Amino acid sequence: MAGSKVKQDMPPSGGYPAFDYKRNLPKRGLSGYSMFGIGIGIMAFGYWRMFSWNRERRLSAMELEARIALMPLIQAEHDRRTLRMLRENLEEESIIMKDVPGWKVGERVFHTDRWVPPLSDEMFSLRPREQYLHKRFGFLWYV
Amino acid sequence: MPTTLEVPTLQDLKVDEVNVSSAVLKAAAHHYGSQCDKPNKEFMLCRWEEKDPRKCLQEGRKVNECALNFFRQIKGNCAESFTEYWTCLDYTNLTELRHCRKQQQAFDSCVLDKLGWVRPDLGDLSKVTKVSTSRPLPENPYHSRPRPEPNPTIEGNLEPAKHGSRLFFWTW
Repeated sequence: MAGSKVKQDMPPSGGYPAFDYKRNLPKRGLSGYSMFGIGIGIMAFGYWRMFSWNRERRLSAMELEARIALMPLIQAEHDRRTLRMLRENLEEESIIMKDVPGWKVGERVFHTDRWVPPLSDEMFSLRPREQYLHKRFGFLWYV
Repeated sequence: MPTTLEVPTLQDLKVDEVNVSSAVLKAAAHHYGSQCDKPNKEFMLCRWEEKDPRKCLQEGRKVNECALNFFRQIKGNCAESFTEYWTCLDYTNLTELRHCRKQQQAFDSCVLDKLGWVRPDLGDLSKVTKVSTSRPLPENPYHSRPRPEPNPTIEGNLEPAKHGSRLFFWTW
């Protein structure tokens, strides 16, 4: 049919253009791999912190146990020191107040027989001020 | 009526104190805790029950005696490694045990060899323990006032009020 007058409808040269069906969104933010990477990284850091904190706790438990083991010894010594100071204060008081009639040595402020831990003001009132300051401010856990 | 303060005399309070520094105490602490367990626990129990240091002086004396004996034994048998250990502790910043594990191991093995003392495991010293003691339980350690007498029981039979509750007065 070479001499046909009818012109066959043909695609344009180079073919039809592609259909515009794709999502055409701009690419934003991190890629999935990097987000996975960040998540895993945070978790690894958390595990590291946790394990190192556990190790720290175990080590400080040893220090704590040392304190616990020494506590009776230190407590006994502290009790004796307090009582010794109170006794010395009483003796000093009896020397100071010997001329005052009707003075009772060691009269307590409290109406009770139970043991009241003495204040450091009470214990150091008859002693040099340096000792009181040393007791009060000599060692502080905080400033 | 205020009471007078009673304090034992200086003679009663005279005890051979343990004159060692904190690093020495800390270096020996774990072995001390396991060796002097009995007097220590006894003292702490007394202190806890009596609430009064004046009544626990005998127990405290025993604690000190045991501690002195303990340090004497160390001095007699493991003086060298012990000194090395506590000087190491003393030279670290906060006398932390973690910096001196080598010296600690030397001291522990020396003590185990010569005295047969085993270092207590972590957690052994802080366990709650029962202590058997011959000291009687103190009565009224807080010196509380006596409790008031309970109300006498009412004789006669009790019946509900005749006209209901007196609190309910709004009637109509």
